[in-house]
Formats: sequence, C-alpha cells, structure tokens
Amino acid sequence: MNKLFLSCLKATELIEKKLLFKLSVQERVQLKIHKMMCDACTLFEKQSNTLGKAISESSKKENVTIDVNNLKKDILKKIGEPE
Amino acid sequence: MPKDNRLEQWVEDYTRDLYSWAFHKVSDTELAKDLVQDTFLAAAEKIESFKGDSSPKTWLFAILNYKIIDHYRRKVNQPILLDTQSFSTFFDDEGSWKPEMRPKDWDYEDTELLDNPEFNEILSRCLGELPEMWNATIRLKYILGKNGEEISQELGITPTNLWQIIHRAKVQLRNCVENGWLNN
Repeated sequence: MNKLFLSCLKATELIEKKLLFKLSVQERVQLKIHKMMCDACTLFEKQSNTLGKAISESSKKENVTIDVNNLKKDILKKIGEPE
Repeated sequence: MPKDNRLEQWVEDYTRDLYSWAFHKVSDTELAKDLVQDTFLAAAEKIESFKGDSSPKTWLFAILNYKIIDHYRRKVNQPILLDTQSFSTFFDDEGSWKPEMRPKDWDYEDTELLDNPEFNEILSRCLGELPEMWNATIRLKYILGKNGEEISQELGITPTNLWQIIHRAKVQLRNCVENGWLNN
C-alpha cells in the first residue's frame, strides 16, 4: 500500500473509523490527501454524517403509541404470579 | 411496608417513562414492552438488595439499560463474518469505487432531508434491510450514543472489527438510501 495514497475502500474505512476512534497522524494525513483528490469519497463522508444525524433524530421523533395502562396491568399480573 | 406495594407503586409511576425510553432505544413496540416487563421482573427478584441509595427510578432505569445492552449483545453474539464478496459489489480489485456505485450528489441541505418524511421512510426501510448485527452496531452508535470503546467492550468485539462492521453497514446503507431517494 502506498504511504500517501489510499484507495477509496481504505479512505471510506478511515472515514467511518474516525467517527468511532481517534485516527493516527498518518491516517489523518492520508485521508485528507485522498479527499482533496476524490469527490466521491468527499460526498460519501458528507452523506455518512447526514445518515448518522438522521438516524439519531428519527428515534426521537417516534411517539409512544401503546396503551400504557394495559402494559401496567400485564406487568402487575406477571410480578404477582407465584414463582 | 410490604414489598409488593412498593413495586406496584413503581409500576404505576414509572412504566410510561421506562417504556418510552426502551422504545426509543430499540424502535420496536413488542420488544420494548418485553424489556420493561423483564425490568420489573428483575426488580421483583432483587428488591431486597435495593437499599434506597439511589431513587427507585434510577435503579429501574439501570436495570432497563442493562437489558437493552444485553439485547444488542445477544444479537451480535455470533461469529463476526466480513465477507469480502459483498465488497466487490462496491469496489473493484484496486479498491476504487465501481463506476455505477460511486456516491452521487443528493442535492440537498441536511435540514431539508432530516425533516422529509419520504427520506426518513427510505432510511428506515434500508436500516431494516441490513443484516441484524450491522443494524445493532449502527443503533448502538447513533441511538444509544455510545462511543467506539464502549460499543466494542459491551459487544465483546475488537475495535477493528467494530469499525469494519460499521463501515460495511454504512456503505450498504448509503447506497440503499441513495437508490431509494434519487429514484422516488
């Protein structure tokens, strides 16, 4: 593997790794150089961030739609049952 | 005071909050109900060890959170399989994007997309199409808000395995969302 130039496969791996762990200095430089030359991976990163935001937010938007009283009854029945 | 009364009162007071929390973490009505039910069952078993050092609510949430992580852990608890074959769909032998798989411009502002019901529907369908384990790691990261160290520890996988899984999941997810979004 070339020290400076990453493949798109490697670059996108680093883009995702960066969201979870700290990259080494070498990895950061490699990724930066790759993105300067590669529109596709630059787009990939932007869209990956958008997807992450959308996933985080979508879970907050969902509303509680069940009948909580029924659930309470079920639970009380369960914990009331003899072992 | 008899133990049972205490627990009954907690069921009355906290079921709604516990359920709402569980539902937002797993996005599945039945599963969320089960998790809350299991939480109270565990609480019933362990109630003698509850000394009241923390509030009952904190105690119950701690049990629930353990149940949620345990649910994800069991999903992921299968051999980590990263086949290179699925990759040849997206990248050629040199690791370059295949021409038809290169990310395309979605032509949007973040804020527009995030509030767009169609986009969110596509996203949710595409998440559902991911292999279970991939889906679980994505949810741990973005919905439970865990960092890389925490997720790999909780799931008992190496950091490298974790980012490799998330990478594969994202490549596939992005492609699925793009196809759905640009073709709708």
